[in-house]
Amino acid sequence: MTIDPPALSPKPGVGAGGLSGVRRRAVTHDVRADEQVNSVAGMTMAQAPAGLAARTRDLRKVYGRTVAVNHVDLDVPVGSVLGMLGPNGSGKTTTIRMLLGLVTPTAGTVELLGHPLPDGAAAALPDVGALVESPGFHPFLSGRENLLRCAAAEPRLATGAMAGAVDVALERVGLAAAAGRRYRGYSLGMKQRLGLAAALLLPRRLVVLDEPTNGLDPAGTREVRAVIADLHDAGTTVLVSSHLLAEVEATCTHVAVLHRGSVVAQGGLRELLEAGSTGLLVTTPDVTVAVNALRDNRIPARATPEGVYADLTATTAPEVVANLVRAEVAVHEVRRQRTGLEDLFARLTENDTVHHRLSDDGPADVLDEEFPR
Amino acid sequence: METKKTVLAVAAAGTVAGVAGLVLLASPAGAGEAPPALPEIGPEALVESVLSTTELPALSGAVSLENNLGLPVPGLSEMGQDGAVRVFTDGNGKHRLQLPSDGGETTVIDDGKTVWVWDSVDRTVQKTAHGAEGKGKAETPLESRFADPATAARELVDTMRADSTVAVDGTARVAGRPVYQLVLAPQPDERTLLREIRVSVDSETRVPLQIEVLANGQADPAVKVGFTEFTAGPQDASLFQFTPPAGAEVTEQTPDKEFRGESAEDLFAGLDIEPYGEGWDTVLTGTVPADLLTSQLPTGPRGEAGPGGNPLDLLGTIGKEVSGDFGTGYVIKAKVGTALITEDGKVALGFVPEEVVTEAVNQMK
Amino acid sequence: MTTAPVRAPLPRLLRSELRFMLRRPRTLIALLALAIMPVIAGVSIAIAADSMGGGRNAAIEGIASMVEGNGMMLPVLVLLLAVTMLLPLIGSMWAADAIAGEAATGGLRNLLLAPVSRVRLLAVKAFGVATLSLLAVVVMAVVSVLAGVVFLGGAEMVTVSGTTLPFTEALGRVALLVVAVTVQVWAVAAVALAISTCTDHPLVVLAAATGGIIIFTVLGEIPSLDWLHPLLLTESWEAVADVARDPLPMNGLTEGFLRAACYLVIGYSLALARIVTRDG
Repeated sequence: MTIDPPALSPKPGVGAGGLSGVRRRAVTHDVRADEQVNSVAGMTMAQAPAGLAARTRDLRKVYGRTVAVNHVDLDVPVGSVLGMLGPNGSGKTTTIRMLLGLVTPTAGTVELLGHPLPDGAAAALPDVGALVESPGFHPFLSGRENLLRCAAAEPRLATGAMAGAVDVALERVGLAAAAGRRYRGYSLGMKQRLGLAAALLLPRRLVVLDEPTNGLDPAGTREVRAVIADLHDAGTTVLVSSHLLAEVEATCTHVAVLHRGSVVAQGGLRELLEAGSTGLLVTTPDVTVAVNALRDNRIPARATPEGVYADLTATTAPEVVANLVRAEVAVHEVRRQRTGLEDLFARLTENDTVHHRLSDDGPADVLDEEFPR
Repeated sequence: METKKTVLAVAAAGTVAGVAGLVLLASPAGAGEAPPALPEIGPEALVESVLSTTELPALSGAVSLENNLGLPVPGLSEMGQDGAVRVFTDGNGKHRLQLPSDGGETTVIDDGKTVWVWDSVDRTVQKTAHGAEGKGKAETPLESRFADPATAARELVDTMRADSTVAVDGTARVAGRPVYQLVLAPQPDERTLLREIRVSVDSETRVPLQIEVLANGQADPAVKVGFTEFTAGPQDASLFQFTPPAGAEVTEQTPDKEFRGESAEDLFAGLDIEPYGEGWDTVLTGTVPADLLTSQLPTGPRGEAGPGGNPLDLLGTIGKEVSGDFGTGYVIKAKVGTALITEDGKVALGFVPEEVVTEAVNQMK
Repeated sequence: MTTAPVRAPLPRLLRSELRFMLRRPRTLIALLALAIMPVIAGVSIAIAADSMGGGRNAAIEGIASMVEGNGMMLPVLVLLLAVTMLLPLIGSMWAADAIAGEAATGGLRNLLLAPVSRVRLLAVKAFGVATLSLLAVVVMAVVSVLAGVVFLGGAEMVTVSGTTLPFTEALGRVALLVVAVTVQVWAVAAVALAISTCTDHPLVVLAAATGGIIIFTVLGEIPSLDWLHPLLLTESWEAVADVARDPLPMNGLTEGFLRAACYLVIGYSLALARIVTRDG
């Protein structure tokens, strides 16, 4: 991949110190975000509070006989950068597509910027920028022409301002020099940047990026981080799915981990990493009954070698125990789980399946790459 | 803002409307419509009014033929397939006929002095000064020799009543116009295959718009000739003028020759046709020169494989071989009639069953 | 920030769609091919008068016999030939690209994400397909008129009925022909668009359209199915040759127009139902 020299130049204020800057900001924002998460935890099906940019309740999507997504309750706090983590086929992309109204859920509700979908799509979508899977552009048009086509469909963009917005967006993703070239000749990274530019054509309240660093070289990856940091500074909520744990650690304030179509953990990044109260380990012989009992009550749970792991992000330990007792599960021992993101992630996603391999045999922080359809 | 439900409802309504429209297009015009209310009229008065219309009024229309005889009729069936014959008259003896042929058109224009026949496939024009070909054949008006239509009608109806029941059977619509239906049915003792002949007479102009021939045991008419479009009213004079187009080959015909089909004329002259019987079971008898029956058939005009052999062989394939007092012959049956041709050239045909034609042939010398 | 629904101006969307379609190499190639066809037909008739015969179809033969030395008849022949397969396929190709093709490249997602409501998206796509179909027919007609007058001569039209129409009236007949043919192409394209909303593979749409036209044509030639014939879209296509008859018979043209309108409504209704329910 070749990138023109100007494209590599770091943004003002970001660069060598950019990473630490992002992290610092992320931490400072955590305080606010944590409160929101906590306040949300108690109210399940009520009207979405003003503090959520996007929210799903009991979301389910079935393709034929395959359950792609099941019982997903996702909260994206306003102003947060939420990293969505999960291995292949964990339902990340399906969830994002339902969140954007691209896919109709089999069951459950989606609220985007306070508007219920799909009826509120016209009100919500102008404020949402998105890059989902492989960006679909036309090979015979130049990058600028492709973006102009997108710009024409943007309601909040005046006709006279289209060309200017396109140039600004191209500049922002470092494609200004290649804007006149046909999309056909773009490298994978440039295609990804163009998709990002389309999402950033005008100021958004929510930006959804599905694997934004896919195909980018390290410099491009840094730039995407810088863009996310810029968006975060401007108060924009960002939802980013990624297979790079380091990237999530560097840029995100919040994390949601999906596994086999369910959210197995979500909350503030620091909370998940350091507060240590993310999960409850239950030692029991009735593993299947216990997992089902908890999931039926929409408490994220999964089997572990010793018993059952229950996620406490949206519930409390007594609640879990009460549920288990109600289900007549024999409980031998209950203890809190402390975890780091990598450990957490590995544990959340690698076990209870023989065939599913994850980060244990590859670079520690890289999950399977999620391929577009 | 449209919700999904509204859109789906609109889409469903649109689909239903589209399908309904197609079905409506496919169903014949006027089907299910109540017959028009017209003043009562007796058969004599109706026939009289038809006869008093000695010349067609100015009109434009389209005539089509439905042939359900169960026998291919050369020429006629082609006309039914290609589309309707378009007819224009100015009410003063000028006519224009447009007959579809081989994807092109044969246009016959009678401008009062000259008959022009244009054939688009060959791009030829035949010009015939007036005399031989006068009137359009599809709607030749009844003979004008009935000086007194009232008397003529009474006589005609009386004659018909000898072997038929004549009645006005209500009203209907033909080509969108209200019509009286004059029905001629054979008396019970008539030995005929026909059930009735139904003539639809336009209630306003008293032009017969449609003739249907119905055979025994058939729900649909065996033959139906009639207007599918009919508009009475003055016609543009330019319709009845003709200038041969550039590049067309013009041939002039002498007036005393038929403009086409002279061989058929000769054939019929030699047939020596005589009627046998009367009324509905009239059988036409005649004699075909025996050498004609054994002559070699030409191959088809467009080079398609001809039936080969002589006409007798052909009769053997489409008819049934019979023998009797007359010798050996072939019977050809259609829904409305029967024909018998013997090997020695005797021919009998009529709207009758087989035994009547056999009887007719037997009495021939 | 207010969240009242705002819509992108429709003219801007339509302009953008048209510009996009006209920039497509395959659009330009298709239009060029359509423009070359009348020239080839005109030259070959001028060289060998019987070259357009072949006797495969009475209606085509009937017009073909009139073309020699009668240049204004060339558009009738060319469009009559093209309406039975070529033009409907080209309309279907554009319909296939409009939804299925965009879905295949992922571009449809971009359009669905850009807050263009799906109904408006379909309207924009339908507009693009309809405009290009019209353009295709107009290109063929204009080139045919030019090629006819240049290679075959005769600025007047000798009609099938043997009358001679002056140039302006002949042009009027060609304009009517363009309208009649375009509506038939629109009807096919509307049905193709409905199929296009159901698949991500543009070739499926083209295959379905081709198969449908062939099946309809075959059904139309089976006499025992004559009750079915008024339902078949293909039954109207030969009637476009009526513009070469004088006086102009409107029955076949009107019926063809109404039948096409029915297919148009059905096609767009189904496309509408599918586009609001499909997953991007």
